[in-house]
Amino acid sequence: MTTTILVVESVVLVLLTILVAGLLRSHAEILRRLHELGAGLDADDTDDTDDTGAPGVSGSTRTRSVDLRSDPADSFVPAADIRGSGLRDDALNVSIVGVPHRTLLAFLSSGCLTCQEFWTALGGDPRALELRDDVRVVVVAKDAQEESVAALRRLAPKDMPVVLSSEAWSHYRVPGSPYFVLIDGPAGRVRGEGTGATWQQVATLLQQAADDAGDTRREVRIDRELIAHGIEPGDPSLYLTAAQIAQESRSPSPP
Amino acid sequence: MIKLAAHGVAVGLPAGWEGRIQRRQATAAEQTTHAVVHLANFALPEQRDDFGGGVTTRMRAADVFVVLFEYGPESVGKPLFAARGIPRVTADMFGSKRLQRPLPGQLGCQRFFTAGGRPFCLYVVAGSRAYLPRLVAGVNLVLSDLDVTP
Repeated sequence: MTTTILVVESVVLVLLTILVAGLLRSHAEILRRLHELGAGLDADDTDDTDDTGAPGVSGSTRTRSVDLRSDPADSFVPAADIRGSGLRDDALNVSIVGVPHRTLLAFLSSGCLTCQEFWTALGGDPRALELRDDVRVVVVAKDAQEESVAALRRLAPKDMPVVLSSEAWSHYRVPGSPYFVLIDGPAGRVRGEGTGATWQQVATLLQQAADDAGDTRREVRIDRELIAHGIEPGDPSLYLTAAQIAQESRSPSPP
Repeated sequence: MIKLAAHGVAVGLPAGWEGRIQRRQATAAEQTTHAVVHLANFALPEQRDDFGGGVTTRMRAADVFVVLFEYGPESVGKPLFAARGIPRVTADMFGSKRLQRPLPGQLGCQRFFTAGGRPFCLYVVAGSRAYLPRLVAGVNLVLSDLDVTP
């Protein structure tokens, strides 16, 4: 009798072990898929930041995921300075518009798991960030009522401003953390925004944004040179094919 | 103007200016600390001493750095703080020998006063004499919108 009970118990134990292992595996797979789809955006932050009339947050998040390049439609919100409180009972204002440098606003929170990667990166060796000299990083967290200031103090990079400003989160229509907004100081305009899973990803996209801005500057320079030589928009010479240009150069010039 | 206020000090900042109003953490139980205001027309570094250590070495010719440092109540009524109200600065108040930390080209200015019953030192560092008239005008604009409550 005792042997029978032991055998039954052993079978049940084995079955339960298999069941738990299966559940854990399934859970891990779900997490992996979610990470791939959502790039780690924190669900809690997403829920309570949609008070700005921004389009559906999840859709917005999905389309902006890992995209920090400039928006062709230039539909970004107007850039604005950041005002808020600091981590040590202080008030601060960080100037962003009209300054000679670019500013990368890093919207982070103390509780979001994906943000840990960015807190670590920003608090480490500045050279490892691979930022250009003209980019200043400013970390923006939500107000003290919505954040753990003690946790933020532990996480905050010592050489970067950390501003608590829910107002800034609303103004820049941040869908969730982590989120990054790149602002061109001299132009006073947002040049790109989005999120990423790692700092390296964000740094790469920053580089792309810089390259895009370089293309725009080059285009403006070419336009100016053409206008200086009397070639205005719509000029027929702008629409000649290579063959037509070659033919024109072969034909005798008028006396 | 962006309004910044904390610790009984409120200031309006023109476009392009940054500000911090803080109070240092006490290092001993019996120690009391007071307001320290840092204002600048450039990006303020996070590691700053009260009177500009860590800041002035980064300044360029057209930059200006303003410190408003509050002393303890025991200083109220002392001759050094006899001047009443928020002062204004003029170009002739600036000199290279009035700097806490002399650096080539920079000029400093220091004024002691009492406002709202609180004793302060106003310390200004200008990046160069060439830009001094413009910098003085900027500083006075900020000072005109500075309020101290008791």
